[in-house]
Amino acid sequence: MKLWQKIFLSSLCLIIVAINVISIVLLNNTHRLIIEREQSHAIREYEYFAASFANSAVYERLRSDRLFLSDDEIREIAEDIMAGRPKTQPAAIYDSDKQPIAESPIPELFSLDELERYVSTIGLASDSYNIRVFNCSDTRYMVVCSTLKIEDKSYLLLTASDVSEIFTLRSKQTAFVRQVGIISAAVISLILLITVILLLRPLSRLNTYTKAIAGGNYKIRIRKRGSREFRELAENMNIMADSIQSNAARLEKIAEDRQTFIANLAHEMKTPLTSILGFADLLRIKKNVSDSERAEYAGTIVEETKRLRSLSGKLMELIALGGTETEKKPVSIPGMIKDTETSLTPLLQKNSVSLSCDCEDITISADEELFKSLLYNIIENAVKASAIGQKIDIKAGMSDGNAVIAITDHGIGMSKEDAKKVFEPFYMVDKSRSRKAGGAGLGLALCVKIAQQHNAVLTLDSELGKGTTVYIIISGEECL
Amino acid sequence: MINILIIEDDQNIAKMIKATLSIVNYNGTCCYDGKSGAQEALRGTYDLILLDVMLPEMNGFEVMDTIKNCGTPVIFLTAMQDVADKVKGLRLGAEDYIVKPFEALELLARIDVVLRRSNKTQNIITYGSLTVDISSHIITDNGEPVQLTPKEFEVIVYFLQHQDIAISRERLLSNIWGYEFEGESRTVDIHVQQVRRKLGLKDKLITIPKLGYRLESQDRI
Repeated sequence: MKLWQKIFLSSLCLIIVAINVISIVLLNNTHRLIIEREQSHAIREYEYFAASFANSAVYERLRSDRLFLSDDEIREIAEDIMAGRPKTQPAAIYDSDKQPIAESPIPELFSLDELERYVSTIGLASDSYNIRVFNCSDTRYMVVCSTLKIEDKSYLLLTASDVSEIFTLRSKQTAFVRQVGIISAAVISLILLITVILLLRPLSRLNTYTKAIAGGNYKIRIRKRGSREFRELAENMNIMADSIQSNAARLEKIAEDRQTFIANLAHEMKTPLTSILGFADLLRIKKNVSDSERAEYAGTIVEETKRLRSLSGKLMELIALGGTETEKKPVSIPGMIKDTETSLTPLLQKNSVSLSCDCEDITISADEELFKSLLYNIIENAVKASAIGQKIDIKAGMSDGNAVIAITDHGIGMSKEDAKKVFEPFYMVDKSRSRKAGGAGLGLALCVKIAQQHNAVLTLDSELGKGTTVYIIISGEECL
Repeated sequence: MINILIIEDDQNIAKMIKATLSIVNYNGTCCYDGKSGAQEALRGTYDLILLDVMLPEMNGFEVMDTIKNCGTPVIFLTAMQDVADKVKGLRLGAEDYIVKPFEALELLARIDVVLRRSNKTQNIITYGSLTVDISSHIITDNGEPVQLTPKEFEVIVYFLQHQDIAISRERLLSNIWGYEFEGESRTVDIHVQQVRRKLGLKDKLITIPKLGYRLESQDRI
């Protein structure tokens, strides 16, 4: 069963039950009050009847100047009184043996076994009023019965009055209440239905929206409408959708990067392989290979094999970097730069490039070998970009709480498009040049990995023809 | 003389292709980027273009788009094994594609197929006293017709087209019997022996141990 159906049905049941209970209680209460009033009326009627009977008896006794009246005389008096009573007010007088002396104008009422049994149960000693309602041929009578003593003799007196009207009224009221109840239940249920559906409508909107997200549409956002709970829910769902979207985008980016990496790797591997296979095949199948040709073919094979070797070496480094934990120790930045300079000396001398260092003494927590290889790669790139006789400036200092190493060359520089892509694996600004130098396009990708492991970021400023500055920004947390 | 334009950014590969072409006496011209390659293709008269896909300045597909009106057949050289790339190349009007890395003879075989399709290969080959008419399947020795089975004919034609090149049994099998043929290399040996016997090429069509056969060219003797 759906939520709106549950809410609707349970509310409707409660309301109907409440209406019915209240109306039944009210009706019963009114009915009881009317009955009470009717009872006191019936008692007054009885008292009048009893008094007139007693008075007649006393008067008759005084008139005949006797001490006692005979049963027959009593009977006469009783019959006289009965004759004087209106037909609508039946009454009866019984003697002490519960035998009727005189009876009402509606005999069928008193021939009822029920009444006889009732009369027989009433003790003569009691002088309280016994009131009971009898049903006699579609008419209801309220019967008042009590004992009366006249000169040592007890009589049982009974009066009845028609109270049918009260009960008809009650059944009429019940029917009316039922009708009103049905109509109001219909009206209430209609209003309730509309209210519940309106209140729960945001829920179905949220539902459609959730389905859409589950279906892969991460872009949609829900409008915040409806009651506060729904607005909150909508907001939280939007937050959820945001994070799903960003995660999906991130995963997509990772998958895409990986795809690009593999495609580039395949290309980078196949290019030297093509030359190697081609030249080797030529050496194998050609009949006459001159010495110069053989030297050229074999030379190319060696060159391309070296390229493959460098590629596989760099790849291994890249893979190893991803897996192993670095062993960090406190190391001084100027010291590492000094060491790197020493290992770069042959290259520096070959290109007649000089280094100038202006470094503050900063100690960071780093894996010395890895960090030196990061510096080596970047300074090597700077040397390659420089012309003969140029200078490379290396500066190290603190900035905004982070340690910053800036390596500036005044060489060829590169365009903005190249500068954007230069950290991507296999990206080479000048393919043929770097291939001749044995580059695989992985140096800076490797540097990025090393930087990541040292909580550092690499950025780059470059202008075509003027030079490049690479910044290594090491987070303050790593500084000691 | 067949002129072939090589558009390939890796200079070593370009050099290798040129050397491969030279052994069947084709003349190769190299261009190292897409732009100059396209200009050269439109300017010169070439029988075939070997076009790399990943090129600086203009990629292979763009070059293909530029030169498709000059009617020169194109074979793509690609490092990609992506089917979509191959389909794209062929749809743009390329005759064939070769996936890098490739063997020299595979390149030559594909070039031959394309050249034959565009009727640029010689139809009549003479070798000493032998004259072979490829289109009419007739071989004469000093004017006397020699009876050869179709496969034997294909074998001698293949050797004549690849003189001085060592040809492995596998190469012959795949080129003449098709890649699907799963016969043994004995089949090749029997056919080669038949050709030798029928055409008197005992000294010319020599066996190279562990490799295959080679038909020595006439002029080097």
